[in-house]
Amino acid sequence: MAETRDPHEQAEELLPWYATGQLDDADRSIVEAHLAACARCQRQLAGERRMVDRFQSFSPEVDSGWVRMRQRIEAPQRPRQSWIGQTASDFRQLLKRPAIAALATAQVGLLAIAAAIAPSLGSAPAYVALGDRAQPSPSANVIILFRPEATEAAMRTALRQNGASLVGGPTDADAYLLSVPARQRSAALEKLRADREVIMAEPIDGAIQ
Amino acid sequence: MRQGAQVSMSQTARPERTGAARAEGVEERELIERVRGHDLTAFERLYRLYQPRLTRFLSNVVQRPQVLEEVVDDTMMVVWDTAGNFRGASKLSTWIFSIAYRKALKARARWPDPVEEDPRDVRVSEEPAPDDHIQHERLHDALVAAMDSLSADHRAVVDLTYFHAMGYREIAEIMHCPVDTVKTRMFHARRRLREALGGTSADWL
Repeated sequence: MAETRDPHEQAEELLPWYATGQLDDADRSIVEAHLAACARCQRQLAGERRMVDRFQSFSPEVDSGWVRMRQRIEAPQRPRQSWIGQTASDFRQLLKRPAIAALATAQVGLLAIAAAIAPSLGSAPAYVALGDRAQPSPSANVIILFRPEATEAAMRTALRQNGASLVGGPTDADAYLLSVPARQRSAALEKLRADREVIMAEPIDGAIQ
Repeated sequence: MRQGAQVSMSQTARPERTGAARAEGVEERELIERVRGHDLTAFERLYRLYQPRLTRFLSNVVQRPQVLEEVVDDTMMVVWDTAGNFRGASKLSTWIFSIAYRKALKARARWPDPVEEDPRDVRVSEEPAPDDHIQHERLHDALVAAMDSLSADHRAVVDLTYFHAMGYREIAEIMHCPVDTVKTRMFHARRRLREALGGTSADWL
């Protein structure tokens, strides 16, 4: 039975959790009954509280870790050793999910085109400074494919009307990467898709919102 | 009124006293629900809540920085992949820390920690410090050195207790050991910390 133990030992053993408020009622009663009469345990309790404060006084940086974690989620199939510090590779991985999303949401007639784009993105140069992890945005948040006959003027107009800026491209499949203000992206996508010169416009969800 | 045991007891009556000691709120429950549905925003929030705590906790078990980082991320990947397995039988923190501890033990088997210092070498200088700031730094360094003098299991118990404000039952669940083992480890760890802190023990006691 716990009651047969030396009350001082018993209370002393529980002091750290008494100091952090982590004891149940029974344990707390044991400690408090003893504390009232034991100057040594009172001093120890003060010491325990100082230890708690001291242990609380510093915490590690989290942001760099989160960027790393996110990239790993975006690229689940990438071998572990390769997901640190490879800008070009990061860029390709960033585009894999959107490419898949594009396949899922594009109209049937566009599937073949999207399929043609997706693998070609793998060879797209790293236009976006994704390596700048302290400031991960702005970056491409839309991928767009214009009709082959689209004129430069038409493309320029489409971008201007939607507040989009060119971030990258053309890829091997002649797709371009755009940056659109996050809040306007849905509206911009809608308008771009309605544009006669646009074959496909899809969100890239890898961009930090 | 404010003398002796009365003061001690009234101070202790306050509930949880630190950020890390906060009650596990509704927020975490909601987050894990959303993570089940692979909601990346919810997972980021959960990650930001747990990454510092796990890094902190696991640094007591695995001391190589690269391995530590990997174990923290591996742990959170398990959370991301298997959030559906969390049934709420224990606290979310217990579940996550328990995954982390298992991962850490595996990592430690692969990458043994560097040879631990002799605790006699980590006793800090007893020379008076010129000002409070330096005094604080000295105490901090002393604490780090004192922790280094403990075994990984003892460090884990100490940190889960003081920093993460976990009860001994929760710690036992995380470390898969009897509650008496947790109490004994903590008791011995405190004694070792007192010894290692040497000249600063007056400040502690």
